[in-house]
Amino acid sequence: MRSQRPLEPAESKSPHTRSSIPPDKTRTIMSPLTAFAVSPEGVHFETQESDEEVVLFLRQHLIVLVPSVLLVVLLIVAPILILPSFFDSLILPLEIPAGYFVIGTAFWYIMTFGVALTSFLRWFFNIYIVTQRRIIDIDFLHLLYKEFSEARIDKVQDLSFRSGGIFAAFFDYGDVIVQTAGDMPNIDFTGVPKPARVVETISELITKET
Amino acid sequence: MDVATLTFVILKWLVVFGLAMYCLFAVVIIRQEQLMANVLEETFEPVLRLAAIIHLVASIAIFFAAILLL
Repeated sequence: MRSQRPLEPAESKSPHTRSSIPPDKTRTIMSPLTAFAVSPEGVHFETQESDEEVVLFLRQHLIVLVPSVLLVVLLIVAPILILPSFFDSLILPLEIPAGYFVIGTAFWYIMTFGVALTSFLRWFFNIYIVTQRRIIDIDFLHLLYKEFSEARIDKVQDLSFRSGGIFAAFFDYGDVIVQTAGDMPNIDFTGVPKPARVVETISELITKET
Repeated sequence: MDVATLTFVILKWLVVFGLAMYCLFAVVIIRQEQLMANVLEETFEPVLRLAAIIHLVASIAIFFAAILLL
């Protein structure tokens, strides 16, 4: 499914239509697992100007964490269910001292914690921010590598979103594509919740700006 | 020194070397978390920093435990 929203003045909301931008007093309280927040409280980013307000704060939908959660569950149960039978089936010429099993098991769980932590950090700090002036995409692709892209609201030429598949339809998530004028790079919000509402909100900001 | 003892001495220092590498990885995670926290200020960030520090402390503890126990 792909929806295109050309940015025409005729699309601006009538006074009776519900606005996606909340009144000033409606602010979302952030939780560690927040993936969609309108005017979030207590969120500030690196290049934020003093009079710039965060209108939308987005992360990828929580469903993208499911493979990592399954991997961590598998790593947790492996020493209990899989490894004993694996070692039983091994025929070694030497007897392995007990210390190796103690250190091996402890290291296994520390490594599992490390896998869970890095997966969560990558999700937590991969963010999309919409302010009244800019659209910002901050990606942490690998360890110690970050990418910061931004587009000014007045440079946005076209907005669209796509959402396909059973899971995307059921959990209401998809990709939002922001096309900008000139040489500026396009910004893609990948796997964000409520893509239609994101497009609607950015459209309203553009209408306000012009 | 017989073959079995020599094998376990070599194995012990290979394990210790691997654990030292993992400690470096844990330090990198802390640095990564700091870099990320500079980009985004969020209320939950101190909890993540604590988790990264716990991970590093556990990695260092297992490193010294391996030297003592193996």
